[in-house]
Amino acid sequence: MGASPLMTLGMRAMAANYAALQVTGHNIANAGVIGYSRQRVELATAQGQFSGAGYFGKGSDVETVTRSHNAFLTREALATASLANMDDARLAQLQQLETVFQTGEQGVGYSALQFLNAMSDLASRPGDTASRQVVLARAQEMAARFADAGGRIDTMQGLLREDLKTTVASVNELTKNIANVNQQIAAVRGLGQPPNDLLDQRDQLLADLSEHISITTVAADDGTLGVFAGGGQRLVLGNQAQPLAVVDSPGDPSRAAIAIMDNGKPLRLDETAVGGGRIAGLLKFQNHDLVDAQLLLGQMAAAVAGAVNAQQRLGVNLYEPAGSVPSKDVFSIGAPRALPLSANAKDASGRFLSEVTLTTVHPAELQASEYEMAADPSGTPGLWQVTRLSDGLVRSVPSGGEVDGFRIDIGNPAPSPGDKFLLQPVNRAGAQLRTLLRDPRDVAAASPLTGTVGASNTGSAAIASLTITSNTVDPQNTASITFTNDSGAYAWELRDRDTNALVASGTGTWVPGKPLPSDPDPQINGFELQLSGVPQAGDTLTVERTTNPASNNGNALALAALRDQRLVGLTRQADGSLTGGATSTDAYAAAMADIGVRVQGAQAINNISTAMAVGAEQRRSSDAGVNLDEEAAKLIEYQQSYQAAAKVLQVAQSIFETLLQTAAG
Amino acid sequence: MRVSTQNVFERGLSTLQKRQIELMNMQEQLTSGKRVARGSDDPAAAARAERALATQMRSASDQRALEASRNAMTQAESALGDAEELLQQAREHMVAAGDATYSDAERKSLAVAIRGLRTQLLGVANRGDGAGNYLFGGQGAQQTPFLDATGGVQFRGTAGESQAAMQEAMPLALDGRSSWLQAVNPSTGQPDLSVFDVLDRVANELDTPGRSADEISQSVKDGLRDIDAVAGNLRSHRARVGELLNRGDAVEVRLSQQALSAQTERSAAEDLDMVQAVSSFQSKQTGYDAAMQTYAMVQRMSLFDYIKG
Repeated sequence: MGASPLMTLGMRAMAANYAALQVTGHNIANAGVIGYSRQRVELATAQGQFSGAGYFGKGSDVETVTRSHNAFLTREALATASLANMDDARLAQLQQLETVFQTGEQGVGYSALQFLNAMSDLASRPGDTASRQVVLARAQEMAARFADAGGRIDTMQGLLREDLKTTVASVNELTKNIANVNQQIAAVRGLGQPPNDLLDQRDQLLADLSEHISITTVAADDGTLGVFAGGGQRLVLGNQAQPLAVVDSPGDPSRAAIAIMDNGKPLRLDETAVGGGRIAGLLKFQNHDLVDAQLLLGQMAAAVAGAVNAQQRLGVNLYEPAGSVPSKDVFSIGAPRALPLSANAKDASGRFLSEVTLTTVHPAELQASEYEMAADPSGTPGLWQVTRLSDGLVRSVPSGGEVDGFRIDIGNPAPSPGDKFLLQPVNRAGAQLRTLLRDPRDVAAASPLTGTVGASNTGSAAIASLTITSNTVDPQNTASITFTNDSGAYAWELRDRDTNALVASGTGTWVPGKPLPSDPDPQINGFELQLSGVPQAGDTLTVERTTNPASNNGNALALAALRDQRLVGLTRQADGSLTGGATSTDAYAAAMADIGVRVQGAQAINNISTAMAVGAEQRRSSDAGVNLDEEAAKLIEYQQSYQAAAKVLQVAQSIFETLLQTAAG
Repeated sequence: MRVSTQNVFERGLSTLQKRQIELMNMQEQLTSGKRVARGSDDPAAAARAERALATQMRSASDQRALEASRNAMTQAESALGDAEELLQQAREHMVAAGDATYSDAERKSLAVAIRGLRTQLLGVANRGDGAGNYLFGGQGAQQTPFLDATGGVQFRGTAGESQAAMQEAMPLALDGRSSWLQAVNPSTGQPDLSVFDVLDRVANELDTPGRSADEISQSVKDGLRDIDAVAGNLRSHRARVGELLNRGDAVEVRLSQQALSAQTERSAAEDLDMVQAVSSFQSKQTGYDAAMQTYAMVQRMSLFDYIKG
């Protein structure tokens, strides 16, 4: 037995420890690199040499360099990061949306109330131009605030699409890189050693990708990784990446949707198919929160402005002579619209074959929802199925039928059986609210009719208020009401004020606390009187044209009374009665609280998902990350081993020298 | 269990950032004095504050309407007072005219004085409220509501009262027809006695020359009776206006209480409890301070420090 095996052994040990030191150095160098997994030298005992005296060890060999990687923990970290990023994206958008619904004096609700309060001031001075100017200014302010809020929602929609485009661009970049790394990994697979740093690189690309979109991965035999979106759509397979694209939503083209390009053809991905990540957060916000905000604002704009317009049309403005210029609407409200779905039947030039038009009939009954209209599944011709998207309520209506305050008219030709329409009765109402009044005289503060009690009445009845209930009112006709007994029975006549020709006549009974006339008594001339006191037989009431609109405040009072009226979101029951609804103040407070609750909820969810992501990342990194103290300890350990190995070499050399000296001597 | 050095850094840092954000939010609240700056801070409180603000604005609006009514009613009250005084003067002239020793010429001069009073009364009846409305215009009058026409003074306004925009009935103008033209006629019992007709009639009576003492005594008696009737009617309207002014005071108290409670409600919903906030800020500050110190201490420790070159 010579001295050389010992030398070989020492050298081997030195090489092994040197390799270990090198890997430790690599770890220390990469301690701060995101996505780096710590590496370890795997040493193995070299097989011993057989001799007559048994096996003699030959030291150790460097077998391979492995990285600390736990597939389960990595997958968990990716999945939780996807969720956290989704919630984070939605929260950030919601917080921005919340600024549209300002509280207090900056809010939209404040301006609506200020406008109606100006009507109260006008009632005190109906002929005063300054008071009328204030009404105009407040109307302008109200319209401007609605339009501004609606405009900001539109801007957010536009920016969101840009945001999605940027995100999709980075997704496409990432999937392309993953495909490249896949190819490199497959190429070095034949070498038999794990390409640790390439694997880390791919894991990091996957981590980056899962921030944008939720993914699942499937490992292939050749070392490549197949990457699939949440719903199972292929993003990367081997060295091939499928790009994503931002496309228009099938119903409303102003909204964005995500599609996967399949042979150059975009295949739209459902919001749920995206699963998680930033893209899902943005889509969720767009399809639910942003739409709802737009609907709440639109519903309120359509209802309040609609009620003001209806009341204004019943009044008389200040143009001379009275009634010569019909009362103009105060506001122009963004029109309801029916959008054909992109798959609907088209003619040769690409235009949609059939159209549907919507008309607002009862602004107070409009709901904050969109609707989907399709052919009736029972196949009944001329009948259409309308689904309210907010709660899924399904109703069948014919053309010209009314749903939630708006009328649906089917155009000619009628839609094909497969055609669908997205109905948006209020979406544009807020953003496109404008004032139409320019002249102070336009404000219709006066009532067209004035009621007076007879000069020689003996009863205590006085007219507490006169309300115009219908635009069928004709100021040319004078109504005379004569009570025929002491318990409220009356007879009335309607005569032309110039010719005295009898237009209509009838009878009725006044019931204390109820207006005159009230059901089932017939209408007289589109008005209702509220009486205070009690009439006696022979007492008369006269309702005739307001002779001096400049000093009559009847309609201004009615406009001011809108402050207390439930005029937003009423529900028509089967028997025709109206229930529910909110005043303009309550409607705005509720809308603001609705968005506030969403922000609060999103904050809570975001806190949870972030905590989960942090925990998962901690678990992943506790296995895969570098601990510098540990590396310092290893440094000492391998240094000592190296020194010991060097000692072995030294001993071997001194043995050899001893042998030489002995031989020489 | 082992930890990754980088992860320790990151987590420590993110905890510090979280604390810093909390401190910043707290500081924002302390600066603005508001606990609820946006809906999400406390959606229920924000909605409450919104409704309270609406009530506050509504009270202010109702107060303006009340002010308009009170302004008109105060002036109407003083106009009716003036009218009473003028009628009292007319009554005194009538009493003087009853003196049997007066000559036709002396009675004529009394008639002139009464006609003068009548002109003044017409002016009082046509008074405006300074805001473009007539005090006795009823539900609206284009020009002065009372017009001197052949056959006596006519009411050209619309009978009835116009109301201010508020829950309580507070008139902006009085019904001139019933106060000036519809006193109950003592001889017929019908409400058709006009202030101006009465004065016209008595002035004409006094103007008529060569009447006997009995005739004079009769017409003075009739004249006094009618003057008392129309003065009584004006007085009862004045009493009603006084009642309305009293009601206005009560309404004002109610409105200011409503405004105050709305303000309290709004403040309770969205204002910050300063004491609590300052103490909470201090405790957060202490926590942040401790977090920074320990972070720096932990991060300083490394095994490398103990490896001797």
